[in-house]
Amino acid sequence: MIKVENLTKRYAGFTAIDDVNFEVQKGEIVGFLGPNGAGKSTTMRILSCFMPASTGRASVAGFDVFEQSNEVRKRVGYMPESNPLYTEMRVNEYLHYRARLKQVPRRHRKDRIERVKEQCGLKEVERKIINHLSKGYKQRVGLADALVHDPDLLILDEPTIGLDPHQIRQVRELIKNLGKQHTILISTHILPEVEMTCNRVIIIHKGRIVASDTPANLTKHVKSGGATVIEVKGINPAVAEKQFWTIPGIQSVQSERVDDGYIRCTIFPNTNQDLREAVFEKAISNRWAIRELSRQRQSLEDIFVELTRGVKKQEEEEEA
Amino acid sequence: MSGLWVQLRRELSAYFVSPLAYVVMVFFLAMTGYSFALVMEFFNRGPLDVSAGPAFFRTGLFWFPLLFSVPVLTMRLFAEEKRQGTIETLMTAPISDLSVVLSKFLAALVFYLLLWLPALCYVFVLRWVADDKTPLEWGTTLGSFGGVILIGSFYLSIGVFASSLTRNQIIAAVVAFALIIVAFFSGFRAFLQGSGWQQKVVEYISAFQHMDEWTRGIMDTRRIVFYLSLTAFMLFLTHKVVESRKWK
Repeated sequence: MIKVENLTKRYAGFTAIDDVNFEVQKGEIVGFLGPNGAGKSTTMRILSCFMPASTGRASVAGFDVFEQSNEVRKRVGYMPESNPLYTEMRVNEYLHYRARLKQVPRRHRKDRIERVKEQCGLKEVERKIINHLSKGYKQRVGLADALVHDPDLLILDEPTIGLDPHQIRQVRELIKNLGKQHTILISTHILPEVEMTCNRVIIIHKGRIVASDTPANLTKHVKSGGATVIEVKGINPAVAEKQFWTIPGIQSVQSERVDDGYIRCTIFPNTNQDLREAVFEKAISNRWAIRELSRQRQSLEDIFVELTRGVKKQEEEEEA
Repeated sequence: MSGLWVQLRRELSAYFVSPLAYVVMVFFLAMTGYSFALVMEFFNRGPLDVSAGPAFFRTGLFWFPLLFSVPVLTMRLFAEEKRQGTIETLMTAPISDLSVVLSKFLAALVFYLLLWLPALCYVFVLRWVADDKTPLEWGTTLGSFGGVILIGSFYLSIGVFASSLTRNQIIAAVVAFALIIVAFFSGFRAFLQGSGWQQKVVEYISAFQHMDEWTRGIMDTRRIVFYLSLTAFMLFLTHKVVESRKWK
């Protein structure tokens, strides 16, 4: 659906994205992840034909974004970062105007507008002036606009920014549902969002892609992940540590006293192996009372920090 | 081109939801109405050596509202889209940059014509009260309104251009006003130091003189071409400014 080759965008003085390559298949929900200023919005603006790249090529549904911009525009629903709307218009009025502008044929127009209002939960506010709506509803109007011409590809730039937790959940739910019929490229700098909604993540940092995989695979690839945590009673920390060191493949053990005479040990493996069973056996054979045994889940956040740190190190080395 | 029509409708409706448009309308109506009342009063006192048309269009009460209302009508067009960010949703819809520029200009022009519509009443009133209808031939009336449209288009295109330069409406209005004033007053050098080639040049560009010709029913194609090409040139510049996001 999207094909990006060697895409570079330079503004006067700095490079926003640098030789970026990626592909998005039909039906995927892809999260575009990166810190602020990483080049997410720039890439999305190029894909939505707002501005062309300095060099490189990008195509959507087989049409070049620069050469066949009009064809691309008909197939892309784009919601920019700040969700700009004509706030003096009423919801119905705005959607009708956008549908006409996006060349939805007259005979389908009414049905399409009714459909997106239903999808986005706008039925009860359809007659209201956009300016009088809450931020969550405005966001839905933006989504409805992006959807109204039934595009093959949805490009959503930070769709949940500035919403309260309840609204964020609703918008995420909505996006997940939309993913059943549309290909979606969604940008965010909030990590749980990607984990919850996307089936693939592209991590971009300082204009370069540093990783691209499913959230699960990314988690696997991280070295030294998945420490096991156990809380036991009836021994002192030093003894417990000594016992856990006898398990093969251990990198390090930390322990601390917690309440009610329990101690909490964190056991880090050398590789990405799961130590829970071994730790359990060890505690049972010593007849320690257990109240918790769990494996720390490697979050995207750790991966993200690790990957972007890697880039930083590289740069420092290059500078040196 | 269907995009142009859709966008034109949107721009026009935007005028009518803003209180500013109504303020401009009232101001405009008051000024032209007062101007007309003055002309009527002078004619009541005794015979004048000019006819009603030129008398009406020569006064500051005609030019003043014209010069002032144009920047107010155009300042919002691009500046507000840029400030709100709606320029992004607009420019990623299947509509060409040129259609956007034209739709905004045409919306301003239509609104401007609406401002002038009540002035047609003055002609009917005058024909109704005057015994001698000759100075109020339809030719001179048509000429006068043609002039109002041509000069208006040029000034409006300046305003659209100024609005495309900035995201601040006030700056857009001030820039437009400054440019329009320069365009208007450069035609007055004739009265200051009028001789030889300078006078010739000024004659070509003086809106004041052109308006005077039109109100007397003189249709000079040079003037029509002059204003149409200037309008086209300003819209061309605007188009380039809007397009410039692609070269930055």
